[in-house]
Amino acid sequence: MDFDFTEEQLMLRGLARELLTAECPPTEVRAQMEDARGYSPSLWRQLAETGLLGIAVDEAHGGQALGMVELALVLEEMGRAAYPGPYLPTVVLAASALAAGGSRAQLDRYLTGIADGSVVATLALMEDRLAAGPEGIELRARAQGGEYVLTGHKRFVPFGHVADLILVAARTSEATDPRAGVTIFALDRDTPGISHQPNVQIDLTNKTSTLTLENVRVGADAVVGQVDGGWKILDGVLRRASVAAAAVMLGSARKCMELSVEYAKVREQFGQPIGTFQAIKHACAEMLVEVENAHGATYYAAWALDAAAPDAAFAASVAKSYVGEAARKVCGSAIQVHGGIGFTWEYDLHLYFKQAKLLEALYGDAEHHREQVLTEILAPAAVPALA
Amino acid sequence: MDLNESPEHRAYRARVRAWFEQHRPGSLDTFEDRRAWHRTLYDAGFVGMGWPKAYGGQDASPIEQAIVGEEMVRAQVPGTINALGIGFIGPTLIAHGTEAQKQRYVKKILTAEELWCQLYSEPGSGSDLASLKTTAVRDGDHYVVNGQKVWSSQAYNADYAILLARTDPTAPKHKGISYFILDMRAPGVDVRRLKQITGSSEFCEEFLTDVRIPVENRIGEEGQGWELAQTTLGFERGGNLLARVTAHKLTINRLIEVCKTLPRNGGVAIDDPLVRQKIGKMLAEVEVLRYAGLRLLSKLEKGQRPGPESSVDKLYYSEMDKRHQELILEILGPFGQLFEGGPPEVALNLRSTREDEGSWAYNYLWSRAGTIYSGSSEIQKNIIGERVLKLPREPRADRMARA
Repeated sequence: MDFDFTEEQLMLRGLARELLTAECPPTEVRAQMEDARGYSPSLWRQLAETGLLGIAVDEAHGGQALGMVELALVLEEMGRAAYPGPYLPTVVLAASALAAGGSRAQLDRYLTGIADGSVVATLALMEDRLAAGPEGIELRARAQGGEYVLTGHKRFVPFGHVADLILVAARTSEATDPRAGVTIFALDRDTPGISHQPNVQIDLTNKTSTLTLENVRVGADAVVGQVDGGWKILDGVLRRASVAAAAVMLGSARKCMELSVEYAKVREQFGQPIGTFQAIKHACAEMLVEVENAHGATYYAAWALDAAAPDAAFAASVAKSYVGEAARKVCGSAIQVHGGIGFTWEYDLHLYFKQAKLLEALYGDAEHHREQVLTEILAPAAVPALA
Repeated sequence: MDLNESPEHRAYRARVRAWFEQHRPGSLDTFEDRRAWHRTLYDAGFVGMGWPKAYGGQDASPIEQAIVGEEMVRAQVPGTINALGIGFIGPTLIAHGTEAQKQRYVKKILTAEELWCQLYSEPGSGSDLASLKTTAVRDGDHYVVNGQKVWSSQAYNADYAILLARTDPTAPKHKGISYFILDMRAPGVDVRRLKQITGSSEFCEEFLTDVRIPVENRIGEEGQGWELAQTTLGFERGGNLLARVTAHKLTINRLIEVCKTLPRNGGVAIDDPLVRQKIGKMLAEVEVLRYAGLRLLSKLEKGQRPGPESSVDKLYYSEMDKRHQELILEILGPFGQLFEGGPPEVALNLRSTREDEGSWAYNYLWSRAGTIYSGSSEIQKNIIGERVLKLPREPRADRMARA
């Protein structure tokens, strides 16, 4: 039993932190916020060169075949840096879906491209019902003469506007069980009939858009995995996405706590550093409790996914529901501790506060995951975590 | 990272679980029944497991201790009866006592032949414990003790106490305190039981009038008492998180069973989305405590001792317990506040380590203690703020006087 990271894992974290500190300071974050693309292709190339885009990709496709724990360590650093870019959608959402169901041709073309940095990718899942489960997938893909025709729209597609590859979850047949009849399609960015409407949202670092598909025709070779069998893949992808989002939010929360503690040591009011006051000290102490718990929840879940532990789904939902709320509390409390300066655009706290808010809502919010947690416990084969 | 239970520990757990299945205690109605059960646990090697073999322990690893703690709760059998003695008084004696003190007291703590309590708090000294006023004045080879102590768990049963008293009224308040072993049957010790918010009387208050304590019953040096008290609180806070988690899970499991039949809005409570959200949140929060327990164990296994960081866990679990008991009573409605009289299928009915536990109402009331005892939540936050996060200390009159 060992809850600590290995030397290699700590080196990976150090590498990510070093790169992001040097290449993604707040000035760079703010520059990308103002940019329509919303990310820096040159930093993307550097992420590829340092191997960070391929860490979870298998070796045959140019990756390092590492696990969710390693991904989470890098994602936590992304959260610390408020990194603006399509890392999570490309490296977690799309790469996981491809790895789980991609054909040899798809893997050679897309997965290799993800690892070498030439393919930015995303997953289009959510629709108007905003459900994180399979019942939310209503966009139809009609089979027609050996092709599929997709019509409808997808909401909150992360970095869809710059993605070279968009994986779209569509309904290919109706069944009583919403998990049946879902198929994943791989669409190239210039496929006719695709259009994007960017969202104007509070988080400017993780741009999302509404994706509209009008009679988009794709061949059967665009199917990722089995026709009607897409949900099984997406279920696994969402588990990884939940833990990935938790890791980013953990990074945001930890950074906000550190900024608050440093500020409380130097900012003086009533002739004292404000950190001497219990009201401020207690707020900081509560932040640490949330950050420590968020750390435990995130990395336990990441480990459970890697180990294919029987409680992996349970742990992923625990992490997403717990860390989402914890990060909102910690980042919000940081603004309170900073007072007026914390509310200004020039100060960096709002970058974290906003990023955490978007991630709290995506990939299943706390309510969705609490329901999952209970469902897992009530299932006939209850998770062994129970007494 | 590797959070799997090793094959050895899995096998150990299976043996411990089988032992509890084969050795279920019979009647536990009287205190002597509990003492006999304690003796059975001791003979099995499940008491003071982490203590050195030389003092009657097993030199057991933290993981083995945690496994026994979890299995004991899971089996719904009561634990030891000398909780304070075994939890931290014994370890304190082992760490700071003289050889004579160790020989005289330690073994009998383990076997519960002698029961212990802790005389720390005073009516005017709760969170500000170092302001205590009880005095111990040297008189030849004795100290003469006068004062009043309060909120001492199990003092009515205790044979001995560890006592904090002021030996130097002129020293700064943290420096003038000494640490003693007190014979609870000594002349001048008057113990009165206090009725608590739960209706039961586990707590006591003590009036100490010209009580004579032999000098050899002082632990450590004169004036070292505060320092020693900090170590003992450390033992107390390092407590077994995973056993706590198991207890919470048993309670939530029982709540789920109750909700499967509890009427709600024309159906049953377990189908009510609001109830499901509340239970889902409780499950997630308890699971997070399990991870904290695993992290702590991982540290202990490597020989690291948790310092002030253990305040993070104490703050979390005591506040969590309060929150969860409130959620449970929201779900159960008026049934939750019953000690007796409701339909049996709604009752808690879990046998556990506390003698008078076993109803939702008791747990609800008892949860109010957790955020007060062994350092209130506010004190824990001060410790975290100042000793973990290194925020500047609050300017306080007592510290300024010392400066």
